[in-house]
Amino acid sequence: MAIESSVTAPVAWSRRHVGKLLLLIGAVLWLLWFAPQSPVLKALLQWSPALAVGFGQNILISLVAIALGSVLGLLVGALALSPVRLLRLPARIWVQVFRNAPWLVLIYFTTYVFPFEIKIGSTYLSFPDWVKVTIGLALPASANVAEIFRGAIASIPSTQWEAARSLAFTRGQIFRSIILPQCFKRMLPPWMNLYAVITMGTALASLVGVHDVIDTAQIASNTVNITGFTVVIYLSLLVLFFAYCYPISRLTQRLERRYAFY
Amino acid sequence: MSHWLELFVHWTAGFGLNYSFLLDAYQRATLVQGALTTVLLCLFTIVGSLLSGVGLAAMLTSGKPWLAKPARVFVEVTRNTPTLVQLYCAFLVLNMLLTQAVGAANPLTPFAWVVIVISLHKGAFHAEALRAGIEAVPAVTLEAASSLAFNGRQLLWNVQLPLALRFALPSLINNLIDLVKMTAVASAIAVGDITYASIMIWTQSDNVLELMILILSFFGLLSFIVNCVGRYLEARLRMPGYGH
Amino acid sequence: MPSTETVAEPLVSLRDLHLSFASNPVLKGIDLDVHRGQAVSIIGPSGSGKSTILRCITGLLQAQRGTIRVGATEVHKLAQEAQRIELRKRVGFVFQQYNLFPHLSVLENLVIAPRKVLGRSRADAEKDARALLAKVRMEHKADAYPGQLSGGQQQRVAIARALAMRPELILFDEVTSALDPETVGEVLTVIRELTEEGMTCVLVTHEMRFAEEISDIVYFTENGVIVEHGSAEQIFQRPTSERTQEFLRHALGDPGRRPAVANDPYLLTNLGRYSLSV
Repeated sequence: MAIESSVTAPVAWSRRHVGKLLLLIGAVLWLLWFAPQSPVLKALLQWSPALAVGFGQNILISLVAIALGSVLGLLVGALALSPVRLLRLPARIWVQVFRNAPWLVLIYFTTYVFPFEIKIGSTYLSFPDWVKVTIGLALPASANVAEIFRGAIASIPSTQWEAARSLAFTRGQIFRSIILPQCFKRMLPPWMNLYAVITMGTALASLVGVHDVIDTAQIASNTVNITGFTVVIYLSLLVLFFAYCYPISRLTQRLERRYAFY
Repeated sequence: MSHWLELFVHWTAGFGLNYSFLLDAYQRATLVQGALTTVLLCLFTIVGSLLSGVGLAAMLTSGKPWLAKPARVFVEVTRNTPTLVQLYCAFLVLNMLLTQAVGAANPLTPFAWVVIVISLHKGAFHAEALRAGIEAVPAVTLEAASSLAFNGRQLLWNVQLPLALRFALPSLINNLIDLVKMTAVASAIAVGDITYASIMIWTQSDNVLELMILILSFFGLLSFIVNCVGRYLEARLRMPGYGH
Repeated sequence: MPSTETVAEPLVSLRDLHLSFASNPVLKGIDLDVHRGQAVSIIGPSGSGKSTILRCITGLLQAQRGTIRVGATEVHKLAQEAQRIELRKRVGFVFQQYNLFPHLSVLENLVIAPRKVLGRSRADAEKDARALLAKVRMEHKADAYPGQLSGGQQQRVAIARALAMRPELILFDEVTSALDPETVGEVLTVIRELTEEGMTCVLVTHEMRFAEEISDIVYFTENGVIVEHGSAEQIFQRPTSERTQEFLRHALGDPGRRPAVANDPYLLTNLGRYSLSV
């Protein structure tokens, strides 16, 4: 069948989204004009720094959790591939347990089980709540990273293994020189997706008393006590999370398309 | 019955685990009630999410921009914001507005709100999976069906949907297992599910670890059941020549 | 107009057909006639619009200009999908690949359209289906699924499925192009038998020798126009147009020769002459 020739020069990003950009600018201008007059918007402006600080707490938790989870997950993933059964089995069990556990339950678990301060030598180090939540999120993160790792390794065709072995590589060399370099590229999109999911999971921190953005919003809503304000502040929570996670998901889709091999 | 419970409590006490709350009729009843609530939540949300997923997928692939665009906006917003925030928006905002409007005639309990929010949230994920399934049906197979004089509706029912469902089934089952875990968030708005009941118990008896093991086993069991049903469906609907 | 004797009105008649995809013209004035009982082949280079012609005949694509007549139906005048569906009950189509419905068994594939479209009973449809499967020598695979069959077997089932609708005319769109050489023969045998039984067939094919053997008329298309047409003997043995001759020269087996490079030490054929120390 004939293919339609679609040879058009790619249009610049700003020109393609002219409508949406104008809408956004219009909304901001409307807000700036009405802000001094409406009590709801005044209160929102008043509370924005607190919201920003709270959201910063969420982002901090998500970054530490994904870092911890990735390191742990790669370790567990590597163990799961070991030819030694004694190493493989615990790794598999770890992945099964933490993938099937609700995140909220894990967060409750780490919050209540860990003490609120640790004694090292003669000093007491306080163990803040947000660290406990971070550990609680790092556990399922590690299980998911291990699964992503396993998936990336499995997606490399077995013909590459055969070719490498026939060129007299040892198992360790095959991993280091051939498999792992390819794996990291394939792992990137699902890993970024996992980061977005973890960021959304940090919202659960508010249920165990961490002063994150949701907790701040609840305090604000109770303090100001205007119906319109409650609506606006919860909507702004949606907007904050969306503004952070949506670009990540778009980037993930772009990367998936670029790295598509199938 | 209580004989077995006593044996169990005694056995676990040997490991240092405190399950004595099981012997108290009231606390036991709360826990069982919580477990039942969780099972009900799972059932309702599974059905609700599949229905909303099919609806959203139909809107996304309808080809009409006035249906597809709002559906896409909805899907992107629900996939990129936390479930908890969506739940709060529904329960604290919409419910409040609804109560202000109709007063005591508001029929929606917190349980209902949880079902609605989780169904719509997971429905968005189902819709994406179904959309990918629909787009994975080879165009030539649809042309072949056209050339056999099938009309549009016959094409959809006999060729497009059966194939799209088979392609999307693994993703749908994964989403449903996720959904089972997500019902734990119901405890945030005081719906008496198993998580909430456990919180009530451990704040009194301080046996977090024991209850954790119980809850994790329970959710593990539910996930396992969904997984088994999923595998059975996959086997029933298997097309030889595709997948393994 | 074809030059062979025409006793009756042609079953399919295309006049001055023009079709473009967006701004890309694919058919630039096609005139084609197919008489009842004839086997017509359309040959030509890729992208010359051959498959597009077939899809226009069955209403899967709509031309911008020109007339298409199948029997008494003016296809270019059909405005509603329902009318095109009526046409497709009389015109069978076999595609290059992914023809069959993978979620149904072979028998169910044959039975579904007669039951749902023509409204025949299950018992009737199944009896017919088994007879057709026997005709294409696939009766032993009636309960198999398409994914379990080879390409050639799938195409034979696809032909049987098109026949199950009892069409007046069957169109074949490069049905052997996706098959490996051993299985091409089994599909061509089925098509040959169909033409010998008098079924009106239009084939788009790259199998030149087969086209020469079974066709009554051959059309050679290039760049969206019919360059030459005539009887099979005329086109293959005594082509008048320069372009037809060139196409047939390439298609019938002169793949070109690579000039031998005698002094390249890494050329495999020269390896023996140079010593390589390993």
